[in-house]
Amino acid sequence: MRVRLVAAALAVLMAASACSLGDSSSPSGDGGGDGGGGGVLDVAGPIPIENLDPHGAASMDAGTQVASRAIFSQLVISTGPGEFTGELAEKWTSNEDASEWTITLRQGVKYSDGSAVTAKDVVASFERVLAEAGPLAGNFEGYTVAAPAEDTVVFTAGAPDAAFLGKISSFFVTPATAGEDGFFDKPVGSGPFTVESFEPGQDLKLVPNPEYWDGAPTLDALVFRSIPEVSARMTALRTGEVDVTWTMPDDQITQLEADEAITVETVPGPGVFTMWFNSSTPSLTTPEVRRALRQAVDFDAIVKSLYPKTGTVADAPVSPAVFGYAAQEPVEHDPAAAKAALDAAGFDYDTVLRFQFSQPNFREFVQAVVSDLAEIGVRAEPLEKEQAVFLEDLLALKWDLNFQQLGSQGFDAATNLGRLYPCAAKRTGYCNPKLDELVAAAGATSDTAEREDLYAQATEIIWDDAVGMYAMFVEQPYAWRDTVQGFEPSAEATPYFTKVTVSGD
Amino acid sequence: MTRLVGRRLLIGLVTIWGVVSAVFVVIRLAPGDQATVALGPDATQEQLTALRHALGLDQPVLVQYLDYLGDVLTLDFGESYRYGRPAMDVVFGRFPATVTLTVTAALIAICCGLVLGVLAGRRPGSLVDRAVSTVALGLQAIPPFWVGIMFILVFALQLRLFPSAGGGTLGHLVLPAVTLAIPFTALVARITRGAVAETMTESFVRTARSKGLTETQVLGGHVLKNSLIPVVTVVGLQLGTLVGGAVVIETVFAWPGLGSMLVNAVENRDFALVQAATVLIAVCVIVLNLAADVVNARLDPRIRLEARR
Repeated sequence: MRVRLVAAALAVLMAASACSLGDSSSPSGDGGGDGGGGGVLDVAGPIPIENLDPHGAASMDAGTQVASRAIFSQLVISTGPGEFTGELAEKWTSNEDASEWTITLRQGVKYSDGSAVTAKDVVASFERVLAEAGPLAGNFEGYTVAAPAEDTVVFTAGAPDAAFLGKISSFFVTPATAGEDGFFDKPVGSGPFTVESFEPGQDLKLVPNPEYWDGAPTLDALVFRSIPEVSARMTALRTGEVDVTWTMPDDQITQLEADEAITVETVPGPGVFTMWFNSSTPSLTTPEVRRALRQAVDFDAIVKSLYPKTGTVADAPVSPAVFGYAAQEPVEHDPAAAKAALDAAGFDYDTVLRFQFSQPNFREFVQAVVSDLAEIGVRAEPLEKEQAVFLEDLLALKWDLNFQQLGSQGFDAATNLGRLYPCAAKRTGYCNPKLDELVAAAGATSDTAEREDLYAQATEIIWDDAVGMYAMFVEQPYAWRDTVQGFEPSAEATPYFTKVTVSGD
Repeated sequence: MTRLVGRRLLIGLVTIWGVVSAVFVVIRLAPGDQATVALGPDATQEQLTALRHALGLDQPVLVQYLDYLGDVLTLDFGESYRYGRPAMDVVFGRFPATVTLTVTAALIAICCGLVLGVLAGRRPGSLVDRAVSTVALGLQAIPPFWVGIMFILVFALQLRLFPSAGGGTLGHLVLPAVTLAIPFTALVARITRGAVAETMTESFVRTARSKGLTETQVLGGHVLKNSLIPVVTVVGLQLGTLVGGAVVIETVFAWPGLGSMLVNAVENRDFALVQAATVLIAVCVIVLNLAADVVNARLDPRIRLEARR
């Protein structure tokens, strides 16, 4: 009787396993298949794909953005600092003050169900972004959109916005029916791939879209797998369970480089390790004090020690990969001079600076900075906060030093310098009307050379007034197995897989 | 028996209400604003206000609580803002994987633990007993995540016997299930060993032996049945902690269960998802405890008699 019971329990369990696991099983074996013959590519990024809706609450999630690049189409793609290439957009122009942008659509583009992509879809998608009021909508406050002709879309900004192209490169066009319930369970798009199956937060299996305007991909299938834990992800790459991954710590990169079957490459990214001073903290109000604190930290040694593979010491608040980058005079590490400057400024050494950050991987960097500050008698207390608490305190300025990795969306300084440093942003406690004028002017002209000049002037003010300590430019690491051909790393950690093929292991 | 089950069910319902209320209170007491997390630091005040209104967060807490209780009664846990779909749908999407992992681990642990416990307990102080007790103590002391990483290094990376991560096939199940089962096996073995050793000294065992029964008949027919009561109690209680342990193991092996989803949901202040997942886990633990009570009542007539009073 007992034996029968145990056998029955095992049978039920096996059946449950088959039900729960069978559906999500990824295709086995690379190469072959009925598709383009390019094999099956297994990809594991650092962020799980939980939601395929590129317009709503997850619109700016790295997982949703990577998936959207495969399933949907953008109007333009950002390819580098101030450089764009058209996807659905064949050409684009703006008026003089960059408050009106006219996009001419590529003709003959179809969704995976065979229907045509129209200007009305672009309008509906953009209006849906605004209505959903997710993180992407924050970029387009005061915007309206219209389709005056079948192939033309006009975006009108509430105020001049020269960074429009950078911002709109995170926007994806979907059919006008995207608002219907269940659409994003198996969405229709005009991107290179189409959804075969999707388990939120687990696996996303895509197959080539035969209707893709630029020619269907040669891969038989593209499978995104969720392996958030970094060492598990690296192991999966080394065992061949995964073909491509990206964003890994430097110590893991060393191990991967030792594996002959794996290629590792880093590309300059838009990220900068940024440590803002709260300029409204009484002891940090003067630039002399802030500059002295920056001078006390040996960023060269810290970066070489902690980020030998993916870091270079920063010489500007935005990275060289971003439009508007202007190199500044590096600050020499000189603790004696820093101490003298603090003494001269009457710095209160009894003050304990609240040094907040939110991610465990920043812990060592913060600790190293705290140690260097302690060398000259400055006390800083590292406060590691949960993301939700960190954000709340960040906006309430409940900190004295704040560590973040800041990027520049669309590779444009407008989304960093223009967004975070004006007085009205209230992000750093720092306010300089001259800086406000410069970034406002840079956002209100379509003249590229003029914008570069204005951002260079703004950068100089931010650097000289030491609004923050700009510690490190972050390079984006990628690793892929040698069976993968045609993979090109992207600076934004949102790669495309259209041209990739996989040969048999 | 019916009275026993009825009483336990009633207590279970009160417990579920307690869990539902506790989760509601705790997640709202936690610092950090859901709207800010959802929209990011660049959201305007208008956007934040609109989202708080849409999520009902601008209502008085008591109104939110009553609305929430009403929704829970109709099994409506709301929509996960991260996944953009009903929270219970997301939870049920992950639930089978967690059940598969925990049930497999429990079966492995119960089978192995019982055998080891009986072998050790039938001759207390013997070499086998000392070996089993020492190993069991050691296995309980080792952190499961470390065991998991070692398993990955040896069986996935070096020997390439099993996949290292994910949940594609039955092969994916082996390493996480065994990892999760190890401390539980040790626990079951230790409890069984103690119970068997104690039962072996009972007079009815002597009587059974004096009637000429073989040692196997004595063990199987008399000792084991009477030793199972504490084992069933502990297993029933510990199955809940097994689900908790699965959270860590799921992360190490990227097993697509509830664990990692729940951790992310807490970080993102996805109230609906946290509430749905926690309530489901609570219901499971209560049902398992109820099952343990029923099994115990079947094994021990004294419990049935107690329930009748």
